[in-house]
Amino acid sequence: MNGITQSTALWYASRATGVVSLLLLTAVVLLGVLVNRQGRLPGLPRFVVTGLHRNLSLLGVAFVAIHVITAVLDPYVTIGIVSIVIPFASAYKPLWLGLGAISLDVVLALILTSLARARMSRRLWRSLHWLSYVAWVSALVHSLGSSNDLHGGVLLYMAIACTLAVIAAVAWRITHAGREIPREERAAATLARMSPARAPETRGTPRNDARPPASGNRAPENVR
Amino acid sequence: MTYGTTVPYPAPSPGPQDRARTAPAGTASEAPDLPRLLPVHGAVPVDLRTHLSRYGAPPYFGHPGKLIPVLKVAGLTGRGGAAFPVHRKLQAVGEARTRPVVIGNGAEGEPASDKDKSLLWISPHLVLDGLQLAAEAVGSEAVGLYVHRNARLQERLRAAVAERAAARADLAPVEIIDAPPRFLAGEESALASRISGQPAMPRFKPPRVFERGVVGRPTLVHNVETLAHMALIARYGPAWFRSVGTRDEPGSMLCTVHQADGRRGVVETGLGTPLRDLLQLEGTQAVLSGGYHGAWVPSADAAHMTLSNEDLKAAGGFVGAGVLVALPAGRCGIAETARVARYLALESAGQCGPCFNGLPRIAAALDEVASPRPDPRAVTDMIRWAALVEGRGACHHPDGTTRFVRSALHVFREEIRNHSAGRCVDPAREPFLPLPADTALDAADWS
Repeated sequence: MNGITQSTALWYASRATGVVSLLLLTAVVLLGVLVNRQGRLPGLPRFVVTGLHRNLSLLGVAFVAIHVITAVLDPYVTIGIVSIVIPFASAYKPLWLGLGAISLDVVLALILTSLARARMSRRLWRSLHWLSYVAWVSALVHSLGSSNDLHGGVLLYMAIACTLAVIAAVAWRITHAGREIPREERAAATLARMSPARAPETRGTPRNDARPPASGNRAPENVR
Repeated sequence: MTYGTTVPYPAPSPGPQDRARTAPAGTASEAPDLPRLLPVHGAVPVDLRTHLSRYGAPPYFGHPGKLIPVLKVAGLTGRGGAAFPVHRKLQAVGEARTRPVVIGNGAEGEPASDKDKSLLWISPHLVLDGLQLAAEAVGSEAVGLYVHRNARLQERLRAAVAERAAARADLAPVEIIDAPPRFLAGEESALASRISGQPAMPRFKPPRVFERGVVGRPTLVHNVETLAHMALIARYGPAWFRSVGTRDEPGSMLCTVHQADGRRGVVETGLGTPLRDLLQLEGTQAVLSGGYHGAWVPSADAAHMTLSNEDLKAAGGFVGAGVLVALPAGRCGIAETARVARYLALESAGQCGPCFNGLPRIAAALDEVASPRPDPRAVTDMIRWAALVEGRGACHHPDGTTRFVRSALHVFREEIRNHSAGRCVDPAREPFLPLPADTALDAADWS
């Protein structure tokens, strides 16, 4: 190989891991929508959707870590280590890299809060998790602006495909929001699917509330 | 300690004020021996006058927090199933910075349990005393009693509260709140949701109810039996309370006992009582302890066990809210478990995927195992799903259900083998374990 010096190796590594990170983040967002809609990946058990969502996000962080470290180490451009997490603090392309820093900050916050989910209020965790869309958009725009890689060829089609996939997923989530089975009926619906012959009864049977003893003077029975 | 000792109640004393804490704690002639919460003879509901002449006025301490060290020495644990140390709950709520709410939990969602409704019907004033004492201990003036939708019982309770208000026996007014007839309605956070005006569905923790419960305020929730014990400990002292039971599990408790011949009743007994003193074990194959979130134990083992967590936990069970069911030998334990598992699946609040997906699957697999020549994968599937479902819900419904199902798979393994060979000990399948006639169908059933 000629032309690949140590410096350009770092630069290529940063760009390549950047592409993979964008793909992983897109997959995580799509899986997140699937988790929310309680959907399934065809042929796979249900717990795989949540499991894959979590594991790919961790894998994504690993790739992002290599992506930013190689970019910082690369002597060809001046990117300070601080600018990894502080947006718009780099000397090189501060705007585009700043968006990357924003995305990374949000992703780290989501992962840390998710690891500590048992210890925080559900509502707070959920509110923060909405920021995942901010992270994805920020990452996409960062990818488009930081280099010319995504401006043509295969990578352009990849970027378009990722964008369309996320738009489609969000549209699916919004349109199906009102149509889910109400939570009070979900277990019965699952049971009906599992054993249709013994589906739960429908409304019409009289209530059978807990009653006090039939007469006012029921004795606690002596059981000997 | 045997139960059912017929000790006459102490003779009425000159005046309630004189009795309040002038009698030394644990004086045998003053303090009742078993039964303590329920009357000795018959079950005539006790009105306020009889209650006061028997026990005296509620012994208010005049200052928050004073009851807590008394309960600590007594070692009273919750009688709603979780057996959490009562003094710790009171301490935690008492330390809250905002005004707490105190709720007596009489929503006995367990179909096999009768003790809370019996106690409320017969001895409401003991419960109401305890409620007031608890409210005083944590400095609360917002007090409620949460009971299932039952016109006669609620009418009786409202009358009791009105009697007390007229006699100025209460420090704070008591509101009677309606619970829907759901298995989970009595769960602490479901209770807090319902009283806050939402459906009676469990919430995710944190925050726990003692931090943020009813309308966001710190909430003290105690089972009605626990409150009744509190009312007596405040009068007769911790040493009296500990005079029955064991050292680690002191005191008495109410048990709902189901005999193999169908007799069903509520008895009060000391913890540590041998199970064979409570149940007729001849002609039975297994005992269910702890209700439908509890566990099956073979009768041969139960014959050597006592009513204590020490013994029952070693067999995978627990004392819980004191439900004990003796399953006759000629019944199919798997079919009974399948019926109950189906009920438990349908009682899911539908909030957590593992629960509303997993429990119906487990119930369907149990139905499969209960039928002739079942698919051999059903049992392994069930075990796998049970592992996937545990610990992944907002509440312990999936965990309790899998504990119940796992114990059945173990205790009734002989019957499972029978079914694989196309036989069943009871093809007629007459239902034995009690279940409500109808199920939750839509949102209206949770409010």
